[in-house]
Amino acid sequence: MTEVYVIGASQSDYGAFPEESYRSLFTTAYEGAVDAVDGDFDESLIEEAYVGTLGVGGRQLGLSGPAVTEHVGLHGVSCTRVENACAASGTALRQATLAVKSGVVDVALAGGFEVMTDMSGEQTRYWLGVSGETEWERMAGTTFAGVYAQMADAHMAEHGTTREQLSRVAVKNHANGAKNPHAHLGFECSLEDAMAGTPVADPLNLYDCCPTSDGASVAIVANEEVARELTESPVRVAGTGQASARVGLFQRPTLTGVPASRKAAEQAYEQAGIGPDDVDFAEVHDCFSIAELMAYEDLGFCAPGEAGSYIERGATEPDGERPVNLSGGLKSKGHPIGATGTGQTVEVFKQLRGEAGGRQVDGLETGLSHNVGGSGGAAVVTVYEGGWA
Amino acid sequence: MGAYTSVPTWWNHSDSRYRLVCGECPECGAVSFPPSGACTDCHERVEFEEFEPEGTGTVLSVTVIEGGAPPEFASLLATEDAIAVAVVELDEGARLPAMMADCDPHAVARGDRVERVVRRIYEQEGVVRYGSKFRPVRE
Repeated sequence: MTEVYVIGASQSDYGAFPEESYRSLFTTAYEGAVDAVDGDFDESLIEEAYVGTLGVGGRQLGLSGPAVTEHVGLHGVSCTRVENACAASGTALRQATLAVKSGVVDVALAGGFEVMTDMSGEQTRYWLGVSGETEWERMAGTTFAGVYAQMADAHMAEHGTTREQLSRVAVKNHANGAKNPHAHLGFECSLEDAMAGTPVADPLNLYDCCPTSDGASVAIVANEEVARELTESPVRVAGTGQASARVGLFQRPTLTGVPASRKAAEQAYEQAGIGPDDVDFAEVHDCFSIAELMAYEDLGFCAPGEAGSYIERGATEPDGERPVNLSGGLKSKGHPIGATGTGQTVEVFKQLRGEAGGRQVDGLETGLSHNVGGSGGAAVVTVYEGGWA
Repeated sequence: MGAYTSVPTWWNHSDSRYRLVCGECPECGAVSFPPSGACTDCHERVEFEEFEPEGTGTVLSVTVIEGGAPPEFASLLATEDAIAVAVVELDEGARLPAMMADCDPHAVARGDRVERVVRRIYEQEGVVRYGSKFRPVRE
């Protein structure tokens, strides 16, 4: 099987853009990804496309893939819309990778989009509760933040995780996002502010929660033959893993972790021939502060139950042993649901190629992205390495 | 408007909505709620042995929703200011999400003993939906 490389990746700004549409945002991301290819890229090489979106707002629920790929002139390509809640475009990247790895196509596109800020408050709250076990969790009054709050409550009780440790996720990711020109909430926040935010779902406050955002992202993957013609700064997809679990938190064996993340990580590490200790940096799915802490444990960056002390000693700061969410993460960069997964790929691509500007960390060789759907019904983990195989 | 749960869908699980009917797995003995689909523990497709639990259990984790409730609970939140939602483990072993009733939502904590009560859950398309909530066990 061929090796698979990301040859171009880009995103639109994330934020609230009433003057944009899902198509215009996708066009920005697509043109950016094509421009990011080092060599002279013939777009007609793209034979396969996977586009992630939840379809928030109900806009173009059917055929939302071709609706954007035809719009950017990818005429006639095999295009499939991917829905895996917030893991939609992480899943799209996996599908594109598998399509190239299989040898069926040479070049494939993975991407995603979401427009979330142009609706009424009622519409927004409706769409935020559609990826849990709706018949039971939602009908018990649990909001999406509420499910993660239940995980936080259990993590605090079982492992002694503190209010301050949760807030450190927000402080770190906002500091990183303040250096990212694409970030939705690109401002810094103090630990005091983060700890005293407006209550949303106890113990989570506003600073524990990512925003709802508009945005799009695209990654173009190619086989080794095409990649060698087009780039001198290769980013290889060294491993890909994906798993699922019961959609409802109450039907899973643990309240303090995401079993699908663990399973997906094991697959990705095995395929890449590495272990968690070899990961230099990661973009993890921090939809809520507790989600980033659980990710440290599920991905094997620290032992179960020790995520609180792990962030407290600065391990995941830009100058720490393993920087996490250098882009600002979902918390600061933003979370346009369908765009988030390949948006994480954009940051890994830039960091591995030394193109991350003011937030560049030097010496990174192995990166990881971690994309979760709902509260853990789906998870995708991707390992990337700089250089040729 | 809510995540659309039609009237037939709601009634399909009426035994579990009103009486918390659970299913014991004949393969591994684990208890699933609701008793449909594969066993939540061994993941085998089985014919559950259905039973009605006592309706008492323990709070495993709890959150207090103070904002952002979905539209079907917006009026309740406006009236109550805050809603406690717990993951409850029934004494027979199954877990389920449970809205708390008849108590100060901020006073609910992990480890609390709770019991089922039938309550109005919400109204959709003119049909009032009833189901189970939980309240602290009164000693």
